[in-house]
Amino acid sequence: MEYEELINSQLSFIGKVLSVFSHDINNHLAILKESAGLIGDLIEFGKTSSRKELKEILKITQSIKNQIELTTYFCDKLNGFGHGMEKPLSAFNIHECIEELIVLLSRFINQKMICLEKDFTVNMPLIYSNPLKIQFLMFCLVEKHLKRLDRNSRIIIKTMYANDSIGITIIPKGNLIEADDELICSDELYKHIIKQLGGNVSQKTADETTIILPVSLSSDRYVR
Amino acid sequence: MSTKVLIVDDEVEFASTLAERLALRNYDVKAVYNAEDAITTAQSDPPDVVLLDLRMPGIGGLEVLKTLKKFDPTIEVILVTGQPETEGADEGIPTGLFDYIMKPVDMGELIVKINNADQKRNLSKHS
Repeated sequence: MEYEELINSQLSFIGKVLSVFSHDINNHLAILKESAGLIGDLIEFGKTSSRKELKEILKITQSIKNQIELTTYFCDKLNGFGHGMEKPLSAFNIHECIEELIVLLSRFINQKMICLEKDFTVNMPLIYSNPLKIQFLMFCLVEKHLKRLDRNSRIIIKTMYANDSIGITIIPKGNLIEADDELICSDELYKHIIKQLGGNVSQKTADETTIILPVSLSSDRYVR
Repeated sequence: MSTKVLIVDDEVEFASTLAERLALRNYDVKAVYNAEDAITTAQSDPPDVVLLDLRMPGIGGLEVLKTLKKFDPTIEVILVTGQPETEGADEGIPTGLFDYIMKPVDMGELIVKINNADQKRNLSKHS
């Protein structure tokens, strides 16, 4: 695996997350601007004298609060994503790590009209690994299905825990379409990342992939 | 007669609020939230100007633009977009795009663009 290819792919992944995120935030800001503008308009056009009109204004201010809450939620996820890059290894909740990625890429996933379903085990311990690499790996596994599945398909992400290892299975459900878009991640690349994380991959069917990762990745096993 | 504006955006809150603001300014506005409804609405009640989101789930904005122009080449379309240089707004120009405007929208700028588009539509209809 060429070092440059690895770095470029990871930068493309981070770029994708940032562009989808900023697009989402921009949309929330656009709604906030319109909502604030509408309050200004109602005052300017003299539509604030009756109780009904004042109720309308209260409704808009509630919508502004909701948008701010949503924006804060998105920013928290990006904050977590950023912190994940600070150190090569840290202790974290794998479900929160996957959830973070799903939220940050939600616009990208929604555009494809594909539903991403979580089937998370309840007894998952904290793991000690590299969150960014795991998110990159998840992106690699999901990206090809997003490109190849038809609208209204599903991708199930299932987790399990046994023998000091965690398993993450990606199960695509739906019809395949022809996709000519280039993928950010090659098969060779994601297998290299699994090796870096001290894990292995198993393929139950042509599409269903399970990756097994150690719960605690010691720094001497971590391949840079 | 008021200019008929059709807003097409999957962000329901954005589209409906913008519709309300334009209605206060005496535009005859409708808002729809997906490409399919945009095409049906434009065919049953042709608008003068369409404010079109580029990125929508399923059929994208550029596809809607092509369909609308095929149906009625005089309908003017303004793309409402987050990042024009990366989202293909420039690619839309050859297929009949009138203009684009960035989100968050500046109301003054939008009004000017809608009026210019409407003027062009009137000239095209009467030529």
